[in-house]
Amino acid sequence: MPRRISRRTFLEGASTAIAASAASPALVSPQPLDEARGARSEVEGQRTAATSVPRKTTITLTVNATRRTVDVDDHVTLVELLRDHLNLTGTKIGCDRGECGACTVLLDGRPVYSCSQLAVWAEGTSVQTVEGLARDGALSPLQQAFVDHDAPQCGFCTSGQLLAATALLAANPHPSTDEVKAALTGNLCRCSGYNHYVAATLAAAASQRSMQNAQNPQNTLNRERSTQGSQNAQPAVDLPTSGVSAGSAVRALSVVGRPTPRIDAVERVSGKAVYTGDIKLPGMLYARVLRSPHPHARIRSIDVSRARALPGVKAIVTHENCNVVWGAGSVAGGQQYNDEVKQITRQRRYAFNNPVRFAGEPVAAVAAVDRQVAEEALQRITVDYELLPFVLDHDDAIGSDVKIWPDGNVSLNNRNEAQPISQRRGDVDAGLKAADQVFEDRFTTAFVHNAQMEPRAAVAHWDGGKLTMYTPTGGIANCRADMARDLGIPPENVRVICQYMGGNFGNKNQNQDADLIAAVLARDAGAPVKLELSRKEDFVGVHGRWPTTQYYKVGVKNDGTLTAIHLRGYSGMGPYRKNTGAIGGVDVYRCPNVETVVYPVYTNRTVSGNFRGPEYPQGYFGIQSMMDHVAFRMKMDPVDFILRNMTRMFRDETPYTSYTLDQCIRRGVDAFEWKRKWREAGADRGPIRRGVGVAFVSFRSGLGRSSAVIRLDAKGRYTVHVGVTDVGAGAKTTMGLIAAEALDVPLSRVDVVWGDTDRCPYSVGESGSRTTIMTGDAVVAAARDLRRQIAEKGPPNAGAVLIASASPNPTLPGQVRNTFGAHFVDVEVDAELGRIRVVKYLAVHDCGRIINPLTATSQIKGGVLMGIGMALHEDLLYDRRSGAPLTAGFYGARLLTHRDAPEIDVLFLQSDDGYGPFGAKSMGEASKVPAVAAVANAVFNATGRRMKDLPITLDKVLA
Amino acid sequence: MKAFVNVNPRDLHHAATLLQQAHRDGRTAALAGGGSDVLGMMKDRLITPDLLVNLKAVKGLDQVAAGNSRSDTVTIGGLITLDALSRDATVRRMYPVLAEAAGSVATPQIRNVATLAGNVCQRPWCWYYRNGFTCFKNGGTTCYSASGENQFHAIFGGGPSYIVHPSDTAPALVALDARFRIAGPDGERTVPAAEFFTLPKENVARENVLKEDEVLAAVILPPAGRSVRSTYHKIMDREAWTHAVVSAAIVLDMDRDVCRRARVVLGGVAPIPWRLPEVEGMLAGRTITPALAAQAGEGAVAGARPLAKNAYKIPLTRAMVRRTLLALANA
Repeated sequence: MPRRISRRTFLEGASTAIAASAASPALVSPQPLDEARGARSEVEGQRTAATSVPRKTTITLTVNATRRTVDVDDHVTLVELLRDHLNLTGTKIGCDRGECGACTVLLDGRPVYSCSQLAVWAEGTSVQTVEGLARDGALSPLQQAFVDHDAPQCGFCTSGQLLAATALLAANPHPSTDEVKAALTGNLCRCSGYNHYVAATLAAAASQRSMQNAQNPQNTLNRERSTQGSQNAQPAVDLPTSGVSAGSAVRALSVVGRPTPRIDAVERVSGKAVYTGDIKLPGMLYARVLRSPHPHARIRSIDVSRARALPGVKAIVTHENCNVVWGAGSVAGGQQYNDEVKQITRQRRYAFNNPVRFAGEPVAAVAAVDRQVAEEALQRITVDYELLPFVLDHDDAIGSDVKIWPDGNVSLNNRNEAQPISQRRGDVDAGLKAADQVFEDRFTTAFVHNAQMEPRAAVAHWDGGKLTMYTPTGGIANCRADMARDLGIPPENVRVICQYMGGNFGNKNQNQDADLIAAVLARDAGAPVKLELSRKEDFVGVHGRWPTTQYYKVGVKNDGTLTAIHLRGYSGMGPYRKNTGAIGGVDVYRCPNVETVVYPVYTNRTVSGNFRGPEYPQGYFGIQSMMDHVAFRMKMDPVDFILRNMTRMFRDETPYTSYTLDQCIRRGVDAFEWKRKWREAGADRGPIRRGVGVAFVSFRSGLGRSSAVIRLDAKGRYTVHVGVTDVGAGAKTTMGLIAAEALDVPLSRVDVVWGDTDRCPYSVGESGSRTTIMTGDAVVAAARDLRRQIAEKGPPNAGAVLIASASPNPTLPGQVRNTFGAHFVDVEVDAELGRIRVVKYLAVHDCGRIINPLTATSQIKGGVLMGIGMALHEDLLYDRRSGAPLTAGFYGARLLTHRDAPEIDVLFLQSDDGYGPFGAKSMGEASKVPAVAAVANAVFNATGRRMKDLPITLDKVLA
Repeated sequence: MKAFVNVNPRDLHHAATLLQQAHRDGRTAALAGGGSDVLGMMKDRLITPDLLVNLKAVKGLDQVAAGNSRSDTVTIGGLITLDALSRDATVRRMYPVLAEAAGSVATPQIRNVATLAGNVCQRPWCWYYRNGFTCFKNGGTTCYSASGENQFHAIFGGGPSYIVHPSDTAPALVALDARFRIAGPDGERTVPAAEFFTLPKENVARENVLKEDEVLAAVILPPAGRSVRSTYHKIMDREAWTHAVVSAAIVLDMDRDVCRRARVVLGGVAPIPWRLPEVEGMLAGRTITPALAAQAGEGAVAGARPLAKNAYKIPLTRAMVRRTLLALANA
């Protein structure tokens, strides 16, 4: 039965999160049986919801040492009890399926997933949550160790990690590293390399022992912020000697450059940080989205009358009554910030589209008094679909009879032309003719999801004509502009607030359709609306990295010098072009003759979009695997091949502001002992095969416009207003450090105000690795202005303030500013059992001046681990007959666990090219970009078999 | 989740009676041991019970009851958690295969609540089933994996459904020749572990012989002499928190270098724990040399019928059986 799947696939999202007291009829359960009997018409949803009466039970339990008696419906889960009934929102819901660990609490002292236990089962038990870890205002030694080791990045998984570690230390005060990993392996993290949780737990064990000796706990919640991280969390920082091309050596500064715990770390380890899902407003309604189970279908009709008749339903939107265009959802050419392009595009994406073009696309949304009613209302919506033929793979889409858009399946560019993304310099044909040898190969990469720990959520609230959006966004300013444009209201009538958010990695910079849907529902209903996506909805309904097919042709001289590179590539965009679909990486090679032709192609899959270095990890995997293979065929050490052919000027013509790629590689070669470890590929003949791999990165680190305001009051406190939200990378702290340095005051005299468009000026948004540089430059400029004012006017008197603001827009005439790095990895492949183990990892980066080595190290490690995951595991498989995804979610995507994570060493070279705040460059994306290629090259070196298709799963090792 | 009523039975007989009553009333009921998986299935609406029978309320079935000597049987309550089972001194000493299997399941959080009986009776983790396709397991008339995405599906015993049994403890219990005590409304019955699990061709909708009003109460393990050694080897596609891609539960009764008797049972390859009697026969009475282990590895995959995307399980199984046997024999 092709193309027939149960609707429940996309409705399960409706059943997540917090329960309420209304009746909860069967939602979709009759469907499979109808279908099995062949009774299923294409008219869906026409069935009577059976009614069943929820039963309330009175339970008594102890929560954080306090006895609580609560009436709960039997179907309320323990995490819902904690969050909704007891307002203990430090416990998070990351998946609601026991696949992530964010909801971990201690039940009678033992860690459990509170999403996977009923509240009524907790009768008579004792529950401990993150809010119960501190005693009398003093952080537990473990919480303090988490702060000192930068364990909480976005913070969304932190409470779960803390409780798992708390239980371990209670049972085993002297754990080994492996015991810590085993105890924490049920807690996923997407920001980190996991190393710092282990280090923090071991440090807490040590401090607990010493505290037992001293009997004198001293940490308090509101103590002066420590400016010293723990010693073993510090990376090696290397200061290269001065040289013109390498930039100047950095001189030591007083605040910047010291490992500093996050200014909001205490909030993140104590459950006090408020994320969007934790927001509750008076009279707030709950929304649910009905999603298409079909990858391509025309909606003949939608009947919402039965849903509207349900008591408690306050608003319903579909494509019939909502024609809001989602400008950031599909922008030809990936020009997300270009309003003009959004106007002219012929391939406009609405909040609700007809036809629907991928399984999981929104069809309708409901706002109701509680989640249960909203869920039931979805069931009562009848959608009559005309199924259309679909195409899943970008390789098949060109030339397919299936037309996803009338213009065909090659995505239109910003001039509405079906043109590939092309780059040409020199003459590739001549270069290939001049080559001594020519190599050709094909590489493919898979769709991988951002998989940030916090699923998408949005709370919309209208006060007259003014909209307030609480939403997890890395770009409050962009989100505001998007919302205003899409809703047709002035930007000043939109306020975007994001105080804490659970990871970004590229899918939370602009507005998302969830924001628009919540806003439209709230306007229609006249009440605040909260929309929370389930983990599965987040996987299929937001976006991920575009899958690619890459064909390379490379010409090389016998001495290993490149003469030509040709790339023909295809990128699967899903049915909307949310980003460019480019394939990046060829530019990091010096070569006189280069041609790249990349076709962004429409498919009926989940949409592709921004994800940490959007076009690079997949492109680097292709080109650096290709070049690694050329080196192998030329019988060269890959490092020698890189040193011969790596970029020295951008596209061989524009000088870099500073250049340290060669230093990164040489330092890495020494530190990693590459020359000792590297052997011929496939040298081990037994089942266990060891190998090493290398890849390098040269990545944009440009300047640009951003703003900052700094206020000085009569008490001598400086308040920095910046439009950052801190997606987990530490921007609040980074801005505080930059301000303190520029103002020449200690960090303790600086407050940072963030994440609120009514209180903060424009910031570029935490995407594209730009915030430290661009907003940091603005902070420096504002601080300079403030110091000038102080010098002129003196410090403010009582009641007065001095205010300085800056919106610099620095440029680089005739130069390109890049950051450089090199990655080295040891792997062990069990050729009989298919197991690939990353044994050791070294990441060397020159990110210019390191503002905060503590958070910088976390950034690099997290990028590395994400790259390992992309290399070895992550994918989104589809059923080819129905076009439905099969592996959405953390379990399906096989995100790496504590036990998968190697020890990752980070080595920073530091140089100052005279640009950016104190010479800081970018790092967030560059840390992931080369990692995939490095791992794949190591697998080749171990096995002698080139893995050309990602992910390198065990079936491929065994094939 | 659809609303339902949670009931706390006094004992298993009461639980079975509740199931029977619900069934007679035309209502649906489900059992919750640890609850993790059943709640996930309810949230996904794979099941929508009116009644949830909470076995946490039943006391006394979370023990390992060992006799006074090694020649006595050992009875393990079905409601013991996997964590307790993996740490139990008796089990670790006498039945390491079972302790290792229990300890290999999922994560500490899940093992802290998941029960032995729940693990043994776990529904399949086939992605078609779990995504709500109307397959045999969801009451349909098709196995979507047969000609769909079948990377993790059966190479033995498949048809008409090609699921693999998801349990880690089940292969261990079959390898230990356990007997399963089943409680029903009219009393108890006991079946050998090997007869507890059913192939799809016998009953395509279910994976075992439990009737709708029956509960797995306990497992009874035969005495394990000092000469018996055992192990569980689980291959996963990340280092933790997945079901077995392929696993092997191996029990050897050794007389010095000679294997008197062997039990070799595979997980992850078939709709039931897949016992290999030919391999067991091959090993009985012989010294397990590298050559014999290799022969056993070959024997382990004899008759395998891979689907389009899971042929890799054949070399994987072959190598794993060979290596696990050798390691255990030389332990």
